[in-house]
Amino acid sequence: MTQAEDNDLVARAVSSQDTAAFGELVRRHQSHVRNFLRKLCGDYALADDLAQDCFIHAWDKLQTYSGRGSFIGWVLKVAYTTFLQSKRKSKRYAEILESAGHVADQESRSKVLPSDEITDLEKFLAVLDDEERAIMVMSYACGLSHREIGMATEMPVGTVKSIIFRGKEKIRNSFDIKDHQHG
Amino acid sequence: MTSKIINMAERLKDAEDRLLESLFESAPIADDGFSEQIVRRVNRQLWVRRLTLPIAAVIGGLIAFKPLVGLLSVIENLSGMISVDTAGLAASSMPQIQFIVLGAVLLGAALLGARMLED
Repeated sequence: MTQAEDNDLVARAVSSQDTAAFGELVRRHQSHVRNFLRKLCGDYALADDLAQDCFIHAWDKLQTYSGRGSFIGWVLKVAYTTFLQSKRKSKRYAEILESAGHVADQESRSKVLPSDEITDLEKFLAVLDDEERAIMVMSYACGLSHREIGMATEMPVGTVKSIIFRGKEKIRNSFDIKDHQHG
Repeated sequence: MTSKIINMAERLKDAEDRLLESLFESAPIADDGFSEQIVRRVNRQLWVRRLTLPIAAVIGGLIAFKPLVGLLSVIENLSGMISVDTAGLAASSMPQIQFIVLGAVLLGAALLGARMLED
Protein backbone atom coordinates (compact mmCIF):
# COMPACT_ATOMS: atom_id res chain seq x y z
CA MET A 1 0.00 0.00 0.00
CA THR A 2 2.22 2.84 -1.18
CA GLN A 3 1.68 6.54 -1.55
CA ALA A 4 2.41 6.32 -5.28
CA GLU A 5 -0.26 3.65 -5.76
CA ASP A 6 -2.75 5.79 -3.83
CA ASN A 7 -1.90 8.82 -5.96
CA ASP A 8 -2.31 6.76 -9.12
CA LEU A 9 -5.76 5.58 -7.98
CA VAL A 10 -6.76 9.15 -7.10
CA ALA A 11 -5.63 10.35 -10.53
CA ARG A 12 -7.70 7.63 -12.23
CA ALA A 13 -10.74 8.38 -10.07
CA VAL A 14 -10.55 12.12 -10.72
CA SER A 15 -9.65 12.13 -14.43
CA SER A 16 -12.14 9.55 -15.65
CA GLN A 17 -14.63 9.39 -12.77
CA ASP A 18 -13.41 5.83 -12.24
CA THR A 19 -15.49 4.55 -9.33
CA ALA A 20 -13.64 1.21 -9.34
CA ALA A 21 -10.38 3.05 -8.58
CA PHE A 22 -12.12 4.96 -5.81
CA GLY A 23 -13.53 1.66 -4.51
CA GLU A 24 -9.98 0.33 -4.28
CA LEU A 25 -8.95 3.41 -2.28
CA VAL A 26 -11.89 2.84 0.08
CA ARG A 27 -10.98 -0.84 0.45
CA ARG A 28 -7.40 0.10 1.35
CA HIS A 29 -8.23 2.74 3.94
CA GLN A 30 -11.66 1.85 5.36
CA SER A 31 -10.18 0.03 8.35
CA HIS A 32 -8.15 3.05 9.50
CA VAL A 33 -11.03 5.46 8.96
CA ARG A 34 -13.57 3.25 10.73
CA ASN A 35 -11.19 2.61 13.63
CA PHE A 36 -10.49 6.33 13.91
CA LEU A 37 -14.20 7.21 13.98
CA ARG A 38 -15.06 4.34 16.33
CA LYS A 39 -12.53 5.67 18.81
CA LEU A 40 -13.83 9.21 18.43
CA CYS A 41 -17.54 8.34 18.74
CA GLY A 42 -17.44 5.30 20.97
CA ASP A 43 -20.51 4.13 19.05
CA TYR A 44 -19.70 1.60 16.33
CA ALA A 45 -22.91 1.94 14.30
CA LEU A 46 -22.69 5.74 14.26
CA ALA A 47 -18.98 5.55 13.43
CA ASP A 48 -19.66 3.31 10.43
CA ASP A 49 -22.42 5.65 9.20
CA LEU A 50 -20.00 8.57 9.54
CA ALA A 51 -17.33 6.57 7.70
CA GLN A 52 -19.73 6.13 4.78
CA ASP A 53 -20.51 9.86 4.75
CA CYS A 54 -16.79 10.58 5.00
CA PHE A 55 -15.99 8.56 1.88
CA ILE A 56 -18.87 10.15 -0.03
CA HIS A 57 -17.51 13.60 0.92
CA ALA A 58 -14.04 12.38 -0.06
CA TRP A 59 -15.35 11.42 -3.51
CA ASP A 60 -16.92 14.87 -3.92
CA LYS A 61 -13.71 16.63 -2.88
CA LEU A 62 -11.22 14.23 -4.44
CA GLN A 63 -9.94 16.81 -6.93
CA THR A 64 -8.79 18.98 -4.00
CA TYR A 65 -6.31 16.28 -2.87
CA SER A 66 -2.99 17.66 -4.03
CA GLY A 67 -0.91 14.52 -3.36
CA ARG A 68 1.51 16.40 -1.10
CA GLY A 69 0.67 14.59 2.12
CA SER A 70 -0.40 10.97 2.53
CA PHE A 71 -3.84 10.00 1.25
CA ILE A 72 -4.80 8.48 4.61
CA GLY A 73 -3.95 11.81 6.29
CA TRP A 74 -6.23 13.59 3.84
CA VAL A 75 -9.07 11.08 4.34
CA LEU A 76 -8.73 11.35 8.12
CA LYS A 77 -9.08 15.12 7.76
CA VAL A 78 -12.36 14.54 5.89
CA ALA A 79 -13.39 12.01 8.57
CA TYR A 80 -12.65 14.45 11.39
CA THR A 81 -14.62 17.23 9.64
CA THR A 82 -17.52 14.81 9.10
CA PHE A 83 -17.40 13.86 12.79
CA LEU A 84 -17.40 17.52 13.92
CA GLN A 85 -20.28 18.39 11.56
CA SER A 86 -22.33 15.46 12.82
CA LYS A 87 -21.63 16.43 16.42
CA ARG A 88 -22.65 20.04 15.74
CA LYS A 89 -25.83 18.83 14.04
CA SER A 90 -26.82 16.52 16.90
CA LYS A 91 -26.07 19.29 19.40
CA ARG A 92 -28.29 21.68 17.46
CA TYR A 93 -31.00 18.99 17.30
CA ALA A 94 -30.82 18.52 21.07
CA GLU A 95 -31.03 22.30 21.56
CA ILE A 96 -34.12 22.49 19.33
CA LEU A 97 -35.73 19.65 21.27
CA GLU A 98 -34.91 21.36 24.54
CA SER A 99 -36.24 24.72 23.38
CA ALA A 100 -39.42 22.97 22.27
CA GLY A 101 -39.78 21.59 25.78
CA HIS A 102 -38.84 18.02 24.94
CA VAL A 103 -36.22 16.08 26.78
CA ALA A 104 -34.28 13.64 24.64
CA ASP A 105 -34.53 10.14 26.05
CA GLN A 106 -31.66 8.97 28.15
CA GLU A 107 -30.67 6.30 25.63
CA SER A 108 -30.07 8.72 22.80
CA ARG A 109 -28.40 11.29 25.05
CA SER A 110 -25.60 9.14 26.30
CA LYS A 111 -24.56 5.95 24.67
CA VAL A 112 -22.56 4.71 27.60
CA LEU A 113 -21.42 1.13 27.54
CA PRO A 114 -21.96 -1.05 30.59
CA SER A 115 -18.96 -0.72 32.92
CA ASP A 116 -17.76 -4.30 32.29
CA GLU A 117 -17.60 -3.61 28.52
CA ILE A 118 -15.45 -0.49 28.87
CA THR A 119 -11.88 -1.16 27.79
CA ASP A 120 -8.74 0.56 29.10
CA LEU A 121 -8.56 2.58 25.92
CA GLU A 122 -12.13 3.81 26.32
CA LYS A 123 -11.31 4.89 29.88
CA PHE A 124 -8.27 6.76 28.60
CA LEU A 125 -10.18 8.39 25.77
CA ALA A 126 -12.93 9.48 28.17
CA VAL A 127 -10.59 11.91 29.95
CA LEU A 128 -9.68 13.64 26.68
CA ASP A 129 -11.73 16.25 24.84
CA ASP A 130 -12.68 15.72 21.17
CA GLU A 131 -9.67 17.55 19.79
CA GLU A 132 -7.17 15.75 22.02
CA ARG A 133 -8.84 12.41 21.31
CA ALA A 134 -8.72 12.94 17.54
CA ILE A 135 -5.07 13.93 17.60
CA MET A 136 -4.03 11.14 19.98
CA VAL A 137 -5.86 8.56 17.83
CA MET A 138 -4.28 9.93 14.65
CA SER A 139 -0.86 9.73 16.28
CA TYR A 140 -0.98 6.46 18.21
CA ALA A 141 -3.62 4.41 16.39
CA CYS A 142 -3.16 5.58 12.80
CA GLY A 143 0.58 6.26 13.01
CA LEU A 144 0.41 9.70 11.39
CA SER A 145 3.39 12.00 11.81
CA HIS A 146 2.97 15.34 13.60
CA ARG A 147 3.20 17.10 10.25
CA GLU A 148 0.47 14.89 8.77
CA ILE A 149 -1.74 15.49 11.82
CA GLY A 150 -1.11 19.22 11.43
CA MET A 151 -2.28 19.02 7.83
CA ALA A 152 -5.32 16.92 8.75
CA THR A 153 -6.45 19.20 11.57
CA GLU A 154 -5.21 22.44 9.99
CA MET A 155 -3.06 23.18 13.04
CA PRO A 156 0.60 24.16 13.30
CA VAL A 157 2.93 21.26 14.18
CA GLY A 158 3.80 22.97 17.48
CA THR A 159 0.15 23.01 18.51
CA VAL A 160 -0.21 19.34 17.59
CA LYS A 161 2.80 18.49 19.74
CA SER A 162 1.48 20.46 22.71
CA ILE A 163 -1.97 18.84 22.40
CA ILE A 164 -0.34 15.39 22.39
CA PHE A 165 1.74 16.39 25.41
CA ARG A 166 -1.39 17.66 27.20
CA GLY A 167 -3.30 14.50 26.33
CA LYS A 168 -0.52 12.28 27.59
CA GLU A 169 -0.32 14.29 30.78
CA LYS A 170 -4.07 13.95 31.34
CA ILE A 171 -3.86 10.18 30.86
CA ARG A 172 -0.78 9.99 33.08
CA ASN A 173 -2.45 12.00 35.84
CA SER A 174 -5.72 10.11 35.65
CA PHE A 175 -4.37 6.59 35.48
CA ASP A 176 -0.90 6.67 37.00
CA ILE A 177 0.81 5.40 33.85
CA LYS A 178 4.25 5.30 35.52
CA ASP A 179 3.11 2.54 37.86
CA HIS A 180 1.65 0.70 34.90
CA GLN A 181 4.95 1.00 33.07
CA HIS A 182 7.12 -0.25 35.84
CA GLY A 183 4.73 -2.72 37.33
CA MET B 1 25.59 12.86 34.06
CA THR B 2 23.23 15.32 32.33
CA SER B 3 23.31 13.31 29.10
CA LYS B 4 22.50 10.16 31.07
CA ILE B 5 19.44 11.90 32.53
CA ILE B 6 18.37 13.08 29.06
CA ASN B 7 18.83 9.55 27.68
CA MET B 8 16.82 8.12 30.54
CA ALA B 9 14.07 10.71 29.93
CA GLU B 10 14.05 9.83 26.22
CA ARG B 11 13.85 6.13 27.01
CA LEU B 12 10.97 6.75 29.43
CA LYS B 13 9.20 8.88 26.82
CA ASP B 14 9.63 6.11 24.26
CA ALA B 15 8.31 3.52 26.68
CA GLU B 16 5.29 5.69 27.34
CA ASP B 17 4.74 6.19 23.62
CA ARG B 18 5.05 2.45 23.03
CA LEU B 19 2.57 1.80 25.80
CA LEU B 20 0.12 4.27 24.29
CA GLU B 21 0.64 2.76 20.85
CA SER B 22 -0.15 -0.70 22.17
CA LEU B 23 -3.23 0.65 23.94
CA PHE B 24 -4.48 2.48 20.87
CA GLU B 25 -3.71 -0.46 18.61
CA SER B 26 -6.77 -2.23 17.28
CA ALA B 27 -7.40 -5.13 14.95
CA PRO B 28 -8.04 -4.19 11.31
CA ILE B 29 -11.73 -4.05 10.46
CA ALA B 30 -12.80 -6.42 7.70
CA ASP B 31 -14.29 -4.72 4.65
CA ASP B 32 -17.38 -7.00 4.53
CA GLY B 33 -18.95 -5.17 1.60
CA PHE B 34 -18.30 -1.70 3.04
CA SER B 35 -16.34 -0.46 0.02
CA GLU B 36 -18.89 -1.95 -2.40
CA GLN B 37 -21.64 -0.07 -0.58
CA ILE B 38 -19.69 3.18 -0.97
CA VAL B 39 -19.10 2.55 -4.68
CA ARG B 40 -22.82 1.83 -5.15
CA ARG B 41 -23.69 5.12 -3.43
CA VAL B 42 -21.14 7.00 -5.54
CA ASN B 43 -22.48 5.43 -8.77
CA ARG B 44 -26.03 6.32 -7.76
CA GLN B 45 -24.92 9.89 -7.06
CA LEU B 46 -23.19 10.09 -10.46
CA TRP B 47 -26.33 8.90 -12.24
CA VAL B 48 -28.52 11.36 -10.37
CA ARG B 49 -26.15 14.19 -11.35
CA ARG B 50 -26.05 13.07 -14.99
CA LEU B 51 -29.84 12.84 -15.20
CA THR B 52 -30.67 16.01 -13.27
CA LEU B 53 -29.94 18.48 -16.11
CA PRO B 54 -31.81 16.64 -18.91
CA ILE B 55 -34.77 15.92 -16.63
CA ALA B 56 -34.86 19.55 -15.48
CA ALA B 57 -34.71 20.67 -19.13
CA VAL B 58 -37.62 18.38 -20.07
CA ILE B 59 -39.70 19.53 -17.08
CA GLY B 60 -38.85 23.17 -17.83
CA GLY B 61 -39.82 22.62 -21.49
CA LEU B 62 -43.14 21.07 -20.48
CA ILE B 63 -43.89 23.93 -18.11
CA ALA B 64 -42.89 26.55 -20.68
CA PHE B 65 -44.69 24.87 -23.59
CA LYS B 66 -48.18 26.36 -23.07
CA PRO B 67 -47.09 29.98 -22.42
CA LEU B 68 -44.67 29.71 -25.36
CA VAL B 69 -47.44 28.65 -27.73
CA GLY B 70 -49.54 31.57 -26.47
CA LEU B 71 -46.65 33.97 -27.05
CA LEU B 72 -46.12 32.68 -30.59
CA SER B 73 -49.78 33.20 -31.46
CA VAL B 74 -49.61 36.76 -30.09
CA ILE B 75 -46.52 37.44 -32.23
CA GLU B 76 -48.30 35.98 -35.24
CA ASN B 77 -51.31 38.25 -34.67
CA LEU B 78 -49.01 41.27 -34.24
CA SER B 79 -47.07 40.49 -37.40
CA GLY B 80 -50.36 40.36 -39.31
CA MET B 81 -51.10 43.88 -38.11
CA ILE B 82 -47.77 45.24 -39.39
CA SER B 83 -48.09 46.79 -42.82
CA VAL B 84 -46.48 45.14 -45.83
CA ASP B 85 -44.14 48.12 -46.31
CA THR B 86 -42.76 47.82 -42.80
CA ALA B 87 -42.30 44.09 -43.28
CA GLY B 88 -40.44 44.70 -46.54
CA LEU B 89 -38.21 47.25 -44.82
CA ALA B 90 -37.45 44.81 -42.01
CA ALA B 91 -36.63 42.08 -44.52
CA SER B 92 -34.19 44.32 -46.40
CA SER B 93 -32.44 45.26 -43.14
CA MET B 94 -31.97 41.57 -42.18
CA PRO B 95 -28.47 40.17 -42.85
CA GLN B 96 -28.05 38.03 -45.94
CA ILE B 97 -28.27 34.26 -45.67
CA GLN B 98 -24.53 33.65 -46.28
CA PHE B 99 -23.64 35.89 -43.30
CA ILE B 100 -26.06 33.96 -41.06
CA VAL B 101 -24.51 30.65 -42.15
CA LEU B 102 -20.98 31.99 -41.61
CA GLY B 103 -21.94 33.26 -38.15
CA ALA B 104 -23.43 29.88 -37.24
CA VAL B 105 -20.28 28.06 -38.44
CA LEU B 106 -18.06 30.42 -36.43
CA LEU B 107 -20.23 29.99 -33.34
CA GLY B 108 -20.08 26.19 -33.71
CA ALA B 109 -16.29 26.24 -34.13
CA ALA B 110 -15.92 28.50 -31.08
CA LEU B 111 -18.08 26.18 -28.98
CA LEU B 112 -16.12 23.12 -30.14
CA GLY B 113 -12.82 24.89 -29.40
CA ALA B 114 -14.00 25.88 -25.93
CA ARG B 115 -15.05 22.30 -25.22
CA MET B 116 -11.69 20.94 -26.42
CA LEU B 117 -9.87 23.45 -24.21
CA GLU B 118 -12.04 22.44 -21.27
CA ASP B 119 -11.22 18.72 -21.86
